[in-house]
Amino acid sequence: MGMTGYVDFGYVTFIALGTYGMALGITMFYQSGLGIGIIFIGLFIALFLASLSALLEAGIALRLRGAYFAIACIAINEGLRHLIEGTRIWGGSEGMIFWKEMIEAFGRETTIRLTTFWTDIAVLIIAAIAALITLIFMRGKIGYALTAVREDEDAAKVMGINTTKYKTIAFVTSGWLGAAVGAFAWGLKLTHVFPPDVFVIHYTVEVIVVVLLGGAGTLLGPVIGGLIYGLSKYWLAVILPGFQLLIFAPIVIIIIVAFPEGVIGLLKRRTKGTRLEKYII
Amino acid sequence: MALLKVENVTKRFGGLIAVDDISLEIEAGELIGIVGPNGSGKTTLYNVISGVYPPEEGRVIFEGKDITKLPVYKRAPMGIGRTFQIPRPFSSATVRENVATGAMFGTLSGKVSVDKSLQIADHYLELVGLYEQKDKTSGGLTPTEKKLMEISRALAMKPKLLLMDEAMAGMHPKDIDSMVKFLKKVAKEENIAIVAMVEHIMRAVTGFAQRVIVMYRGAKLIDAPTAEALTDPRVVDVYLGRPSREGEHAEG
Repeated sequence: MGMTGYVDFGYVTFIALGTYGMALGITMFYQSGLGIGIIFIGLFIALFLASLSALLEAGIALRLRGAYFAIACIAINEGLRHLIEGTRIWGGSEGMIFWKEMIEAFGRETTIRLTTFWTDIAVLIIAAIAALITLIFMRGKIGYALTAVREDEDAAKVMGINTTKYKTIAFVTSGWLGAAVGAFAWGLKLTHVFPPDVFVIHYTVEVIVVVLLGGAGTLLGPVIGGLIYGLSKYWLAVILPGFQLLIFAPIVIIIIVAFPEGVIGLLKRRTKGTRLEKYII
Repeated sequence: MALLKVENVTKRFGGLIAVDDISLEIEAGELIGIVGPNGSGKTTLYNVISGVYPPEEGRVIFEGKDITKLPVYKRAPMGIGRTFQIPRPFSSATVRENVATGAMFGTLSGKVSVDKSLQIADHYLELVGLYEQKDKTSGGLTPTEKKLMEISRALAMKPKLLLMDEAMAGMHPKDIDSMVKFLKKVAKEENIAIVAMVEHIMRAVTGFAQRVIVMYRGAKLIDAPTAEALTDPRVVDVYLGRPSREGEHAEG
């Protein structure tokens, strides 16, 4: 996502839709006798819903840039939440609880193992897939196209780059990954979904902070950023409970102002021309 | 058949007629200079040919195909390349990656791998003398180097028609001479028609162009072989104005 230069405040929408997709898959098909198969149906619905939302965002990204794009994405997120709550589709504001359905479909033992062990494995697999996709994108034609789109969209068009196509690819890929995380780490793990829990802008902000901290458009950036953010947030919460956000916010601002290219971006620049260079990606 | 045919093209911005009923033809491999004072419609003409905006009237035909309404990004693979007056590098990418992007999405689009594109990039960087700088990020180049990079990026697209927008403005006269020599050589070797838009530097036009088109107030004033065009008294009028005579308004 960092590769397009669009700051996606709608990322949490993908996670939310992924969670709902899994919830719908399980509640609709738990009596079908497909067993574990319904998880894949859930994942499929998750990916489908996320695709729709990603296409909507891509459509907006064709017209708006910068802060306006971010605001529009927040609007989609909030709008969708209120739509679900207001029209009472998918359980409305009461959400969906599908623990019972899961037990009926998989049995108690399997359900417990699914929600504890296998969801964590699934998230790791998704992370690996995300890293692989990032690597393929960065090395391939699409990486060049996305860099061009980020730096100068009009020049990119003149050079023969179908900017609409590449932006859509970026958004849909990002949407799928977000939805997959939502489906497993939220849906299957928690066995319930409530609108106020999943449509949380706060998560998006965290994702963006992590990406910027580590270095946007890099492979290791989000990993390093996540480690720094996660560990320091936890550490601050331990040594100064209650004050962690107050202290954390200025630190994040300082880091982002001082190293706009992120930790990995900085390392990349420092190691230019040395043997380390090719490991900093 | 002409490589590019512009037929009676008119482009208006509200009440302003930026390009007024222009027709012109460009043959493959031709070297053309477009001159004209500021605001005479040169850049608008470029934008119409490269597809940035469609004209209100008239047609643009490239290799026999009507491309008047074709989206911008579909024109590069057909063979229309362009450089900008103020270079527009993809700043965070290296020089080599910038030029390789040209190779990847130009007329070779879909036919070359990323590795092959990087090789093509190396070739053109060597030609313009930027090979030593290839791993620098393009944002850190000097203005002249950025221009050279943009030219190699456009050449890596393997265009049939290259539109250059003030490519030589701000360059040292010595550099201009070598640039002119270089462009003539490449155009001949690769059969590229190059249109160079020049506002002031007549030195570049006389050394480079076989034919000169003089634009004035959105219209084509002169379209003639270089020597003939530049000695035409109307060119002086366009740039310097002329004393008003009875029944006429001073222009300039």
